[in-house]
Amino acid sequence: MSLLRVEDVHKSYGDERVLEDVSFAMDPGDVEVVIGPSGSGKSTLLQCINRLTEVDDGEIHLDGEEIHRMDENELRRRVGMVFQEFNLFAHRTARGNVTLGLTEVLGMGKREARERADDYLSRVGLANQADSYPAELSGGQKQRVGIARALAMDPELILFDEPTSALDPELVGEVLSVMADLAEGGMTMLCVTHEMGFARSAASTLTFLDDGRIVERGPPEDLFERPERDRTRAFLGRLTDVHGGT
Amino acid sequence: MDPIPVLQAVPADPASVVRVASSTPLPPEFAGQLETRDWAFVAENWHFLALGTAVTVLLTATSLALGFLLGFPAGTVEFYGDGWLQAVVSTVGVFLRGTPIVVLIVLFAFGLPIPRIGTVPVLEVRLSNFLVAILALGLRSAAYQAQVFRGAIASVGEGQMRAARAVGMTEMSAIRHVVFPQAVRRSIPGFQNEFTIVLKDTSIAFAIGIAELLTQATRLYLRPGRDTAVTEVVLTISAVYFVLTFGTNRTLDYLDEAYAVPGEGSG
Repeated sequence: MSLLRVEDVHKSYGDERVLEDVSFAMDPGDVEVVIGPSGSGKSTLLQCINRLTEVDDGEIHLDGEEIHRMDENELRRRVGMVFQEFNLFAHRTARGNVTLGLTEVLGMGKREARERADDYLSRVGLANQADSYPAELSGGQKQRVGIARALAMDPELILFDEPTSALDPELVGEVLSVMADLAEGGMTMLCVTHEMGFARSAASTLTFLDDGRIVERGPPEDLFERPERDRTRAFLGRLTDVHGGT
Repeated sequence: MDPIPVLQAVPADPASVVRVASSTPLPPEFAGQLETRDWAFVAENWHFLALGTAVTVLLTATSLALGFLLGFPAGTVEFYGDGWLQAVVSTVGVFLRGTPIVVLIVLFAFGLPIPRIGTVPVLEVRLSNFLVAILALGLRSAAYQAQVFRGAIASVGEGQMRAARAVGMTEMSAIRHVVFPQAVRRSIPGFQNEFTIVLKDTSIAFAIGIAELLTQATRLYLRPGRDTAVTEVVLTISAVYFVLTFGTNRTLDYLDEAYAVPGEGSG
């Protein structure tokens, strides 16, 4: 059974159609990369999956269960999210960012939460920054805390919303390498990103979204080498110029 | 045309005022001159002013506390609430902020059915009047503190709430553990303002005869033959007000720095 199944999802903001008839499915361990021009509905799609935004029509199933019949907090506990702007809790240390969900949502004891947080922080290479506050960290470090925060909840799926778009170019690599390790380790990941190198090397499926519709979807090498649609070819051409494809 | 005689009594230029002040003998009503014997009079009656200071401090503390207890939830409701509750809270706030404090205090003194019983021991203040003053100053302060907190909550940024919800926290839990701790820190400067305003506005309680600092000062220089001491008395209570505001603001500055998030600026 698919871990995630999105069926005929529609979403509009007022008169503006943002998602139209979007359907796809992911198996456990899949790494799906979604690309598309800005305003194509990529972020909205992610937000529909953890219900930070509600769909107008269509169904989304997580492990066979329709998410709108689930408690939203239960859903979000099972589906992690990493934000473009990090959104670290500004008043808490790196460790405190990770422990909050553990103690408040999972009901874990302080001590256990602390140990688990330190474990996940060291997995993303931040063992020495556990006591630092967000304002004391670089962008790349902040985003790695964001990843540790999502990971520590032991989610079935993690949504990445342009995780490297707010980073200085020299900091992109450290975040991508953490993401590549996760992919390698079998984590199910749905990533909106423009990093074509990551898409080529880590993605099991590449989806091109434009104007709220899925234009083309398939193994990344197919889309890179033999795109069926002109729009895909044109977009990938522009993207590869900027972000590098090899 | 000749000027009308009455108008001639008004000095034509500032220089003549100075001349009048320095060369002509002072009329008996003019008590602006500082005199040693008047300072001595203030010193002899320090306990009288100390009592007024105590009333002022008590009035400030209770009004601010009432303002906080009502203002904090009110600001939260104004930001997060909707429907009739939010409408009621924000309308009451607009009314309280739009009414002069003297009008409020007189309105409460004569318009509220507060039984006139009992006096506050030692301070010799009638309890009902004290309640009226606390209610007027406290409610008005609540209306302003609500705005301080509403603004502080708004400044926290939507991403913080989204991140908290995204790990599965309820809205209440997110407000409590993520938004409030940041909002309270950011409200310290606004709260400092509010403290200073409430402290100084306790002098309005003069209007209903509460023995706070200004009232006590007035009683002092209105004693028979003591009208020459008015400047000395008022300068003294000004200094007391200054020390109270300055001292407390410094303490709050210290708190602001002590609780600042490392790496972020305080305030």
